[in-house]
Amino acid sequence: MKKEKLILSVIAVVFGLLVAGCGLYFFRAAKTNPNANTKTISFTSPTPTSPPSISLKLNQPKDEEVVSSKSLVVSGKTQGNAIVVIVTDSSQDVVTPSSDGEFSTTVDLDEGQNTLEITAIAPNGESVSDKMTVTFSQEEF
Amino acid sequence: MNNKNLLCLFLAASLFFILPSAYAATQPSVSSTPEDNATQIRDRLITNIASRVAQLKLVEKRGIIGKVNEVANTQITITDSQNNIRFIDVDELTKFSNPATKGAFGISDITKNSTVGILGLYNKDSRRILARFIDVISAPAIIHGGISEINNVDYTLKITTQDGRQMVADIENLTRTYSYTQKDGLLRAGFSKIKENSSIIVIGVLNKTEENRLTATRVMFFPEIPLNSK
Repeated sequence: MKKEKLILSVIAVVFGLLVAGCGLYFFRAAKTNPNANTKTISFTSPTPTSPPSISLKLNQPKDEEVVSSKSLVVSGKTQGNAIVVIVTDSSQDVVTPSSDGEFSTTVDLDEGQNTLEITAIAPNGESVSDKMTVTFSQEEF
Repeated sequence: MNNKNLLCLFLAASLFFILPSAYAATQPSVSSTPEDNATQIRDRLITNIASRVAQLKLVEKRGIIGKVNEVANTQITITDSQNNIRFIDVDELTKFSNPATKGAFGISDITKNSTVGILGLYNKDSRRILARFIDVISAPAIIHGGISEINNVDYTLKITTQDGRQMVADIENLTRTYSYTQKDGLLRAGFSKIKENSSIIVIGVLNKTEENRLTATRVMFFPEIPLNSK
């Protein structure tokens, strides 16, 4: 009697494993796309272009920023031997960055929207610009 | 009786390998103790507060400049300085102004292609600005490039911009001219000091009839920096 129980238990375990294995196989097969429906997409790498010799990264201000102070700090980073020209609606300034390219200066804003154009010019004449709008307003809303 | 037991054992062992995961996944966790309820309330509160904070940060003050494309009763469509189309909502609190107009000025007075400065509340979700102040303004044009030709008779400069455009800048009596050198810094200079093949920045007003012409209000030239060869 004990022997019969043992044999039937072993058969039950094997049968259970078989059913579970089949279930898992069909589940995975149903999730896989048939080869006929797959499409191979190849990406062509873009033509390499020569990187610009000058860069400009502004830390502040941010485009479309609204400030409540008339004085605005403009700071950022470019290459060390460049000059940075900051033009606003009513003023202009030329800043020489430090040897590691960091620069910072203060400009005065007019009431309302101000267009700021910050241009870094390399000694070879190459330049890069960033244009932004900064609004000076003390209106509460 | 023994056979029944064996059959039950057989079925139980078979199901043992199939059902456990599905059973575990479908079983809801039952929690009804006071501590669990308190935890649930706390989590719900945290979620609500976070949502409220996100809503508060969703709107911020912004100021933009753009050219008007279309004007409707409660909306203005503009193209901003980065060439993006922007939608501006207008309500009864929006104030309009135009320095060129002395009387009352409203949304119906704003015309297509005019340049406007807008100050309002920007919604990060809808990406629209609810305008509080709309002013008709005249934004200056700023060009930079190299001086390719100087006309000493007409007092004009032909400038090649970095993107290859040819622009003509008219120098007027009121034009302020500056020169920048490493030694002297930024100094006032005259038209005669401007040299060909050097870098220049011109700030002015674009000509309404000629697309590639502007009247210079300010000129900054850099005699030590050559015309960009690229």
